[in-house]
Amino acid sequence: MLDLLSYLIKQGVATSKELCPDLPEGVRGLPKLTEAACKNKDGTDCNLCAEACPTDAITIFKEDERGKVSLDLGSCIGCGMCVEVCPTGTIVNNPSTRTAVKKRQDLVLSNFNLDIPAPIVPSINPLFRRSVAARVVSTGCSACDMELGAAGNPIFDIERFGITVVASPRFADVLVVTGPVSKGMQAALKSCHEAMSAPRSIIALGTCAISGGVHKGGYADACGVENLLPVSVYIPGCPPHPWSIIYGMLLAMESGTLSKLSSKQAKSKANT
Amino acid sequence: MQVERIPSTFADLNVVLKERLGRLGHFTSIDGSQLIALILYPHEGKASLLEIPLEGANSYHSLTPHHAQLHWFERATYDMFGILPEGHPRFKHIYMHDPYEENFFPLRRVHLPENFQSPIKRHFSFLEVKGEGVYELPVGPIHAGIIEPGHFRFSCYGETIVNLEIQLGYVHRGVEKRLTEVALPRMHFIAEAVASDTAAANALAHAEAIESMLEIAVSERSKYLRSMALEIERLAMHIIDVGGIATDIGLLGISSTMGRLRGKALGLGDMLAGSRFLRGFIVPGGVRAAGRSLSNFKSQITILRHELKEPLNMFLDNQMALERMREIGVLKNSLCREFGMVGPAARASGEAYDTRQHFPHGAYPAMAPPVVTAKDGDILAREMVRIKEIWSTLDTLDRLIDNLPEGQTQMEVPDKLPANKIGLGVVEAFRGELVHLVLSGPKGEVLRYAIKHPSFNNWTALAIAIRNNLIADFPLCNKSFSLSYSGNDL
Ligand code: SF4
Ligand code: SF4
Repeated sequence: MLDLLSYLIKQGVATSKELCPDLPEGVRGLPKLTEAACKNKDGTDCNLCAEACPTDAITIFKEDERGKVSLDLGSCIGCGMCVEVCPTGTIVNNPSTRTAVKKRQDLVLSNFNLDIPAPIVPSINPLFRRSVAARVVSTGCSACDMELGAAGNPIFDIERFGITVVASPRFADVLVVTGPVSKGMQAALKSCHEAMSAPRSIIALGTCAISGGVHKGGYADACGVENLLPVSVYIPGCPPHPWSIIYGMLLAMESGTLSKLSSKQAKSKANT
Repeated sequence: MQVERIPSTFADLNVVLKERLGRLGHFTSIDGSQLIALILYPHEGKASLLEIPLEGANSYHSLTPHHAQLHWFERATYDMFGILPEGHPRFKHIYMHDPYEENFFPLRRVHLPENFQSPIKRHFSFLEVKGEGVYELPVGPIHAGIIEPGHFRFSCYGETIVNLEIQLGYVHRGVEKRLTEVALPRMHFIAEAVASDTAAANALAHAEAIESMLEIAVSERSKYLRSMALEIERLAMHIIDVGGIATDIGLLGISSTMGRLRGKALGLGDMLAGSRFLRGFIVPGGVRAAGRSLSNFKSQITILRHELKEPLNMFLDNQMALERMREIGVLKNSLCREFGMVGPAARASGEAYDTRQHFPHGAYPAMAPPVVTAKDGDILAREMVRIKEIWSTLDTLDRLIDNLPEGQTQMEVPDKLPANKIGLGVVEAFRGELVHLVLSGPKGEVLRYAIKHPSFNNWTALAIAIRNNLIADFPLCNKSFSLSYSGNDL
C-alpha cells in the first residue's frame, strides 16, 4: 500500500488547469458554418455536403442566390464528411468543446442568420449552482457513457465542479440520458424519472439522445429522449468529448464557473 | 473473406458441430425461409456457409440440447425471423420484450403461417430456484454506475449465487435491419456505432466484408493503419478494464492511474484518426483522414509502456487484489469449449484461439502477436491475459509503425454492391471474435446484414462462472469478462 501511495505522490497532480479548451489540432470536433457563400464558382448549386452526410443533418436551400445551408448539430455525428467535401469553406471543423445548448433550436446552425446572437436562457434552477447529483441512464452504444466516465478521471476531474454521479434516482437532481432510448428502455427511463423528486431536469448527452443519431427511424423507435421527457440541456457529439460533457453539465447547473469560462474566452478573443 | 455457400441439411450441421470440424461463427436466417450456419475453419483460414432450407416450414428441432453453444443463437433467430426451435430447453425472447407487438419479427420476409401464435410471451419469466432460504435478487436494467443496461436475476442461498439468469435486449436498436436499408456509403457509420467501444473492430469487419463482395484488395499501408487502429482500441480498453477491476477491489490509486493512462492510449487514436474512439477511420476501400502526423506516435508508445509498468506491477503484487481474484469465477475449459467462448475470457481458460492468427484482416496474420493464454480460468487468469495482451499490443504497435509501408490509403469504391454475393469479415476485437456477414440479392441490395459480437458468445460464460460464488464477488467477476450490452443487443 505504501508503494502505491509514494507512487501517486511521485506522479503529482494530473488535473488540467485549463477548462474546456479547444480540441488539439487535427482532432475532429463538430462542424461549424462560416460566412463563405455556398455555391459552385459557376453559380450552380453544390449540395455535396448534404449528399455526404450520413444522418441527413444538412439542408441546402437551393432557391437562394447566396446558397443557404443549415446544419442540425442535434443530428450530427461529427463524422467530418461535410468538412471534407465542402469546396467553398462554408463548413469547417469546429474545435470548440463548448457546444452544449439549452434550446433545441440553438443546435441548428445556418449561414444566413449568423449575426443573431444566441438567446439568453433563464437559469434552469439556481438550486444546482454549486453542486448537482446526476443519475445516468445509458441506452446507447457505450461510447457516450465511457466519455462521461472519462470526465471523472484525474485529468478532467468532474467532481471538482460539484458534479457527482449517484446510484439512485431518489437522490438525483439531474437525469443524464445517453443513447437513442429505443423501445426496450422507454419504460425503465420513465420510471427512473418518476422516482426523482422535483426540482429535476434532464440532460440529453450525445447525438443519439438528442435525435436518435444514426439509429433514427427504425422499428425500435430510437429517436431520442425528447419524445418521452422534456430536455433542459443538449450536449451534441457522437460521442461528445469529456470537456463538452463537463461544459453541458455546468450549463445545466448555471454554475458560476461558466461565467469565468466565458469571460476567459472573451478575453482571449479580444487578444487575438 | 470469401465464403463458400453450401446447401446442407441438419444432419450435416450436426456432424460439423459434433466432430468439431469447425467453429460456429454465426447461426441465423436470411429471410425466414432457411437457416444458415457460418462455419469457420481457423486452421485453414477458411469459412463456409451451410444453408439449410426449411421447405416452407416454420419450425425445426432445436439443436441446443446437443450443442449448447446454439442456445442464444436459436433464441435470437426466433426473435428476428419467427423460426421456432422446437424443444429448446430454455426458450424465451432475447432482444424484444414487452413493448413489441406479438408476432412482430423484423427481419422476416416470408409470410408467417396463418393462425401463427407465438408459444412464448413478450413478458418473460425467470427460472425459479425453490427451497427454503433461497431468495431472488433482481438487478437492472438500469445499473448503479455509468454502464449500459441489462437485467440480472440472481437466485441466492445466503450469500451464495445458486443461479444467475441474464436478460438483455434493452438496447436493441434494430441495427441489422437498418443496415439493409441504407446506401452503401452510409453503412459503415451505422456498423461502427453498433458498439462504439469496439468502433475500430466493427468498422474493420464491415470493411472486410464489403471489400470481399466487391473483390477489391486495399493497399498494404491501409492494412497496417487498420491494424494500428484495432490495436489502439484493444490497448485503451484493456487498460480501462484492468482499471475497472482495481476500482472494484478498492485500489483507487491504480484505477485512477489506469483512467489517466487510457486517456493517453486514446490520444494515440486522436493522432492516427483524429478521433478518440477511432470513429470514421476505417472505411471500405482503405482508411480515411490518414496522413496525419505520426511522428510522435512511436515515442508516445514508449512513454506509455514505461508509465504502465509500475502501476501494473503494483496491481499484480498486491495481496488484497490477488486474493479477490484467485479461484473466483472459474470458467472450466470444457465448458468454455462447449459454449464456444471467445477472446481473452476463453484464452484465460486455456483456449488458444485468436482470430488474428487465422483469418486475414488488417495486417494479420502476418503481423499477429503470439497468442496469450492462461489455464486457471479465474478472474486472475483473465486479468493476466489482459495485462500480457497490453504488452503484446504495445509491441505490435511498435512493429506496425516501424514497418509501415508507403502508398495509397484510399481506393475508389463503387456506391453499390454486386448482385448475389456473400461478404465476410472476421476480426479479433478486444473482446474476441467479431463477425460481420453480408448477403446481397439479385439487384445488389443487402438481403441480410448479420453481426455476431464476441459478447454474444460470452454472456453465458458469466452466468456459468458465477455459480456458487459469493454475490459480493459478482461485480468483479462481471468486469473480468468485460461484456458488451449494445454489441449483443444490436
Ligand atoms: S459532420 Fe455532421 S453534418 Fe457533417 S456530414 Fe458528418 S454528420 Fe453530417
Ligand atoms: S451518440 Fe454516438 S457515441 Fe453516443 S450513444 Fe449514440 S452512437 Fe454511441
